Amino acid sequence: MIARRELLGASALAAASLVGACESDAVPRGRTPVSLWFSYGGTNREVLEGLVRRFNARQSRDYVQAVYQGDYFEGLAKLRTAIAAGCAPVLSHVVGEVVPYLANAHVLEPLGDYPGVRDLDLIPELGQEGSWLGGSARTLVALPFNRSTPIAYLNADLFAQAGLRAPRDWAELRAVAQRLSVPNTRFGFGCPINWWFWVALVGQAGGSVVEADGRVSLGDEAGVEALSLWQELVRDGFMKPPPGRDYNAWEQCNQDFLSGRAAMIWSSTAFLKYLEAHARFRVVAAPLPAGRKRAVPTGGTFWIVLRGAVTEQKAAAVRFLRFMHEPEQVIEWSNRTGYIPVTRAAVKELERRGYYAAHPNDAVALEQLSVAEPWPWSVDLFRLQREIVQPRLESAVLEGSDARTVLGEARALALEPT
Amino acid sequence: MKPSRRVDPYWMLLPTLLFLFVFFLFPLGMLIKQSFFSWDLLTDARYVGLGNYRALLRSGELWHTFTTTLSMSTAVVLGSMAAGLGLALLLDRPGRFAAFLRAAVFSAYVVSWVSVALLFLWLLDADSGIFSGLWRALCGGRAPNWLGDPAWAPWAVAGVSVWKITGYALVLFLSGLQDVPSSVLEAAELDGASPSARFRNVTWPLLRPTTLFVATTSLIASFQLFDVVRVMTQGGPVRSTTVFVYAVYEQLFLDLRVGRASAEAVVFFAILLLLTGAQFLLFRAQEST
Repeated sequence: MIARRELLGASALAAASLVGACESDAVPRGRTPVSLWFSYGGTNREVLEGLVRRFNARQSRDYVQAVYQGDYFEGLAKLRTAIAAGCAPVLSHVVGEVVPYLANAHVLEPLGDYPGVRDLDLIPELGQEGSWLGGSARTLVALPFNRSTPIAYLNADLFAQAGLRAPRDWAELRAVAQRLSVPNTRFGFGCPINWWFWVALVGQAGGSVVEADGRVSLGDEAGVEALSLWQELVRDGFMKPPPGRDYNAWEQCNQDFLSGRAAMIWSSTAFLKYLEAHARFRVVAAPLPAGRKRAVPTGGTFWIVLRGAVTEQKAAAVRFLRFMHEPEQVIEWSNRTGYIPVTRAAVKELERRGYYAAHPNDAVALEQLSVAEPWPWSVDLFRLQREIVQPRLESAVLEGSDARTVLGEARALALEPT
Repeated sequence: MKPSRRVDPYWMLLPTLLFLFVFFLFPLGMLIKQSFFSWDLLTDARYVGLGNYRALLRSGELWHTFTTTLSMSTAVVLGSMAAGLGLALLLDRPGRFAAFLRAAVFSAYVVSWVSVALLFLWLLDADSGIFSGLWRALCGGRAPNWLGDPAWAPWAVAGVSVWKITGYALVLFLSGLQDVPSSVLEAAELDGASPSARFRNVTWPLLRPTTLFVATTSLIASFQLFDVVRVMTQGGPVRSTTVFVYAVYEQLFLDLRVGRASAEAVVFFAILLLLTGAQFLLFRAQEST
C-alpha cells in the first residue's frame, strides 16, 4: 500500500509546479478608470501593454487597466457572460463576425457622436464603413484595431532552390505545392482548415457566403469549388491539414512552416513579424492567388465600448481610442506585429519614411485591401461560422465527405430558426 | 437513539440541506427550466418547449456526443483498470524500489490535467513527438497524425487519460490485494496451484468488490473528461473528441446557446443518474452474495 510519505511526496511534486504571482495595477487617485479586456498573447500582448502604459504616462486624466482574457473565442465568452452578469469592462475588442450580433443585442455604445471619432481618417476597407456591406449606413459601434487579411508565407530558400515563384492562381498553387512536397518529409502547402481561408477561396471562385439579399448561399458552386481544392490538395499529399481547432490549428501551421515541414502556408498577416523573427530561412510574404478573380476577406478585431459602462468611463475609453489611432501608436502597433495600419495618416507616414520599400512583406496585406470583400451585416454570421460551416469544412477535408453534400446540409441548417 | 425534541434532527440537517439547495437543487431546477428556452444571455429568452431537445436529437449531435463519450470512457476505464491491476500485482511487494515506482505512478494522478495535456501535446506531435519517432523506428513511414486524424484522436486522448488516472486504480487495487488473506493463497500454493491459477481462482474473485468500485468511479470520472479535450483537441478534429462536458461548454460559451447547453446538461445528468443507480444496484447485489 502507498505510504503516507509517498503520497505526500507525490503531492508536493505536483504542488511545486504551481507558481503564481499577483500584480496589482491600482488606479491613481483622481483618474478615471477604464477596464480593457484584450485577447492577445506573446508579442502582441507586450506591444499593447506598452501602448497602454504610454497612454497612462502621457496624461493624468484617465487610467487604462488592461487584462488578458484568453484567445478571441475565450475572450468573447467571458465578455458575453460578464455583460449578462452586469460586470463587463468598459472597453474590449472582438472579431468582426460578432459585431452585428452584439450591436443587435444593444450592448454596444454608439461612438459617432463622441468628440474626434468622425475625424479619425480610417482606411475605409478596415473600418466599419468598408468592412460590412452597408456598414456606413449603420450606427457607428466599432473602430478598427488589429486588422488583417490572409496572406501566403513562402520559404524563400526552398522556392529559390526549386526555381519557383509565388503562385498567382489556383493552377500554380497546385503545381507549386506538388513541386515542393517531399513524401514523408515536407508538404508543399499548409493552411488551417478554417472558415476565414475558405471564405477567401469562395471569393476567389467568384462567390459570396451570404448574398446581397441576405440569402445564405455559402457560395453555391463557388463554395464547392473552394472546398474541393483543399480536398484535392490533402488527398494528393501536397497539403498538410494541421491538427486542432481554432487558434491551435493556426499555431500548428506556423510551427510546420518554421520547422520546414511546410514550404508555403496561408496565415494571417498578424503572424508576419513572428514568422520573420523565428524562421531560420528567408520569409517572403505574397498575396493569395486568384481563382476566377482575386479576393480576400478582412479579419482581426474591432474596438467596442460597452453601453452599460459609466458615462464618464465611456468618454475616457474613447479618449484612449483616439490616442490609439494617432499615427505614432498605429505605426508602432503595425510595425511590431504585422497587422495593417488602420489610418491613412499612418500609411502616408510609413511611405514617406520608405518603410514599405525596406520591408516589402509588410506591404502585401495593405496592397490586398484593393481586393478585400466586405462581410454581410448578419447577426447570425458567427453562428454560421462556428456551428454550421466550420465543423463541415473539417469533415469534408479530414474525412473526405462530399463537398456538395456537406455544404448543402450546411445551407439547410442555416435556414432553420435559431 | 430518539431525539429529545422532534425538531432537533431537522435544524441539525439544515446547513447541509441549505448547501444542497443553493448549490445543487436550485441550479438543477434552473437548468431544467432553461432547457425549455432559447436564450443567448444578451437578448430576451424565448420559450421553445422541447425545441432544444428536438434540435439536439434531429441534428444527431446528442447521439454523436453520447457514443463518443461512451467509447472514450470505455477505453479509459478498461485501460486504466488493466494497467492499474497489472502494476498493482507487480508492485505489491516490499522494498524501496517498488515504493518509488508506486509513488511515481501515483504522482501522475495528482498532477493537473492541463499540465498533463500540454505535456502530451508535445509527446504526440505528429512530426517531432516521441510517439511519432517510435512509430517511425518500429513501423517505418509517416506516423499517424495522433491528434489531427479523427480516427486516432479519440484514442490518443483516451490514452492520455489512462496514463493520468492509472495511479488511482493502482492504489485501490493495492489495497484490495492487501485484503486478500495470505492464508488462502498459501493453502492454494500448498495444493499445487500455479501463480496464474492462484490469481484466477483466489485473487481475482476476492478483488471483485474493488474492481466494481474502480470501474464505476472511473466510468463516472471519465464521463466528466474536459480539461484534456479543451487543451489538446478542442473537441475536434471533426468533433471526434467532443465528449459531453465539452459539448455543453461549447454550446454555452462558444455558440452562445444557453437553452441547448442546458438541454444537453439535463441529458448528461440523467445518464449519470442511471450509471449511479446501476452502481448502487450492483453494490447491493454484491453485498447479498
